[in-house]
Amino acid sequence: MKISKKIIDNLKKGGVDFYLSVPCKLLANMIDILENDKDVYYSAVPREEEGMGICAGAYLGNKFPCIMMQNTGIGNSVNAIVSLLQLYQMPVVFLISYRGTPGEPVGAQGGMAKITEDILQTLRIPMLHCSSEKELDKISTFSKHAKVVESPVAILCDFNLMKDDK
Amino acid sequence: MNRFDLLNKVQNILKDNLVICNIGLPSQELYKISDQPNFFYMLGSMGLSSSIGLGLALSQNKHVISIDGDGSVLMNMNTLATIGNRAPSNYTLLIIDNGSYGSTGDQRTFTDEKTSLKDVALGAGCKNVIECSGEETVNELNKAIDDKDNSYVIISKINSGNVKIDPIPLNPITIRDRFRKFIGKVKYL
Repeated sequence: MKISKKIIDNLKKGGVDFYLSVPCKLLANMIDILENDKDVYYSAVPREEEGMGICAGAYLGNKFPCIMMQNTGIGNSVNAIVSLLQLYQMPVVFLISYRGTPGEPVGAQGGMAKITEDILQTLRIPMLHCSSEKELDKISTFSKHAKVVESPVAILCDFNLMKDDK
Repeated sequence: MNRFDLLNKVQNILKDNLVICNIGLPSQELYKISDQPNFFYMLGSMGLSSSIGLGLALSQNKHVISIDGDGSVLMNMNTLATIGNRAPSNYTLLIIDNGSYGSTGDQRTFTDEKTSLKDVALGAGCKNVIECSGEETVNELNKAIDDKDNSYVIISKINSGNVKIDPIPLNPITIRDRFRKFIGKVKYL
């Protein structure tokens, strides 16, 4: 719970007040925290691409949105990211559980893991890669950066960082 | 009645609300009929009009109308489940159902065959789902906006067919900023 709490605290400190998720077991604690947080909006959504649309609307309504998802969700959302969030320069934080990184027990997750950072780089999306607790302190500044540059940004949380966060 | 005729009929209602308008011909036709700062024209991301409108309705109090199409809803059908479970009362989804992919040359969609978006919406959890003719749409849209306790999905069944039209000459940041200024979120314009 300590890691998940630190991530949410830092996102809130960065101004994020509207959260969506397509669940992942590594995000489960964060979802629990958000479901009990009266200060921010939280909902699950069925698909990441749809979530990008909802985040775009939330930004238009002056919220600062974050969508939490597995890295596979980036694959589901490429056109929405480019032709909506980037086209209209909308700041959205992607909080990504980085499945398929070392510690991952499911071999099939390795495929998207191998190309996740390449996709984000191709999309010119600023990345913050968190592999240890210390790096989580950068999340609030990094989130504010999304607003300054009016762009989506991606925070990648490694499997081993999240897996023991009981 | 085709989409252009319908948009002409509802334009006076749209003027008083926040409108997210579907990509392609719907946005181009609406722009030609009456351009307003409170109209957000989609220039990409087919399928997401309903979702953008939902996020906007959840984030502020003004009434939001998402103008969508049958082809676009078929592309993002999970949106109906999210709307059925989460849409606030200041949200109306207007699906202009002409049974065809109008912007790409009027190819038939599945709503012109077996699919009923009304049945899908009801099954997805949407409570107030109205299927009506183009002529009835003005009245149904007014009722939906006047009801301060419920969100609505209105499926307006019209004929396919488009008018000859040019692309929207606005750049995306202009569309974004004047829309946010109308809501009161941008000060610098």
